[in-house]
Amino acid sequence: MSVLTLHNSLTTYLVIAAILFGMGVYGLVTRRTLIGMLIASEMVLIASSINFMAFNRFTAPDPAVGQIFTLFIMAIAAAEAAIGLSIVIAVYRNYQSVDTEDLVDLKG
Amino acid sequence: MQFLPELTLLGASLILFMVSLKDSSNNGISNIAIILGALVFGSTLLSFSQEGSLFFNSYKVDLFSQIFKTLIAGAMLVVLLLGRDLKGINTKVRPEYYLFMFISTLGLMMLVSSVELLAIFVALELSSFAVYIMVPMRDDSGRYRIQMEAGIKYLLFGVTATGFMLFGMSYMYGLTGSTQLPVIIESLSSLYSEPAAVIAVLMVLAGFFYKLAIFPFHFWVPDVYEGASNETTAFIASVPKLAATAMLIRVVTMINGDGQVIVNVLMVCAVLSMFYGNLSALVQKDIKRMLGFSGIAHAGFVLLGILTMQITGYANAIYYIIGYVVMNLACFLVICTVSKEGENVQINDLSGLHQRAPLLALTLGIGLFALAGIPPFVGFMGKFMLLAGALQEGYLLLVILAAINTAIAIFYYLSVIRIAYCSDTEGRGSVIASPLTNIVSVTLLLIITIMGVLPQRFIDFAASAVTAML
Repeated sequence: MSVLTLHNSLTTYLVIAAILFGMGVYGLVTRRTLIGMLIASEMVLIASSINFMAFNRFTAPDPAVGQIFTLFIMAIAAAEAAIGLSIVIAVYRNYQSVDTEDLVDLKG
Repeated sequence: MQFLPELTLLGASLILFMVSLKDSSNNGISNIAIILGALVFGSTLLSFSQEGSLFFNSYKVDLFSQIFKTLIAGAMLVVLLLGRDLKGINTKVRPEYYLFMFISTLGLMMLVSSVELLAIFVALELSSFAVYIMVPMRDDSGRYRIQMEAGIKYLLFGVTATGFMLFGMSYMYGLTGSTQLPVIIESLSSLYSEPAAVIAVLMVLAGFFYKLAIFPFHFWVPDVYEGASNETTAFIASVPKLAATAMLIRVVTMINGDGQVIVNVLMVCAVLSMFYGNLSALVQKDIKRMLGFSGIAHAGFVLLGILTMQITGYANAIYYIIGYVVMNLACFLVICTVSKEGENVQINDLSGLHQRAPLLALTLGIGLFALAGIPPFVGFMGKFMLLAGALQEGYLLLVILAAINTAIAIFYYLSVIRIAYCSDTEGRGSVIASPLTNIVSVTLLLIITIMGVLPQRFIDFAASAVTAML
């Protein structure tokens, strides 16, 4: 498989999605600020979008379902970001910080 | 008719939305919400025997889904009744609070009927997002700021679990080329030798593990239970668990004989949930936190029934989760009533409760006895059936570990009862419960006892529902 045909193979996209997913989960675990964690969570969602689009393009019998699914993921990711940021603002008002090390009132 | 409960909920949400636009003191809002909740419950009863499929086969109405819809509506009504004073929420945002509670219930009702990946995803998110907002809505004018921290933790863990579930769904779609559950079940059944199929199913399960608070996705439980107001916690601890169990059963029925790896993972999750939940609950001072940890342990028991992969096992799991929700609601009824201004209740605050409020003490006592698994209450029958079912399938080690856990659990439940019954009031004033609260607590006690004494009818009914779903 030459480099020039990489864009036309399913594996490329699956690997990209898996890497994004891994980066997202890693970021969620290691990031020290809430905003960083929200960005990492977006990467997790984007990874599955890429998977859906790739499977839709290369394997699916009906080439619309995956695209529709991706549209829904985008809409829901937007809603999630809006809710997340509004709660982050509420956190900042009460704690004067968005750093996870300052959010230690609850010892979960 | 088939869509009546959901339409009623949607209509109720619209009414609450209209009320929230009006800028007034909103005194009667909780009564409006209770009437709307009763209407929703009535509509689920009306459409109980409906069958059919809607929205291009992505939405299936059958006995299984209707039972769960009725239970969800009933549990929501009880939460509305026991949190009638809504002490923990600022008066200004009460209409919005009820609006989000109804929308979350709508999402859960749609979830139990969904048989298509996209429908499952959207319904799950609808129910989750509304609850994410309900948690930080606790009144922050007083001394509390922990609800914000709880809210953001709940959201971040939730998004992670959803991310796992979506990633699993994308592999499922890739392997089978369809998003319809019946088609996926058929195509996946020959694919369980492939690691991708196993990973896909496990990742989809992760989303529901999060809702039910099973081991690797349980981290949010103690913090959210402590941070959210008492009424919100009562909602989170009961209603979503019903829907999560329904969906776990739907997903686990996908697995056939070749999926032994998945069953092994489920076994490990069940045992770890029980041990983690019970051992952590031993040292808690806050009663909501303690109930949260005990909820993790009970979720492990539910998983014990589901992983036998038998119809009786599923029926036992349904019976157990119904019992768990009723017992839990009985405990939260006491917490919400004892809490004077919506503050968190420490276990010591319950001292001498039998003098301060005899009926509440009885409710708490029976609720905790039932949770601990002492006959003749529903908790005992449920645990007994689950263990017997697992033993029949040859999971001896699992049954022994679960039995050890039951013994550990008795300690912390009974120590709360000891404080409520055998200690002095130490100058704490009496607790006044409204007549409505008393009616609800007597009803809950009757359900706990009747379900415990006559379990067979309930289990047969649940079994027939599961058979109808398969």
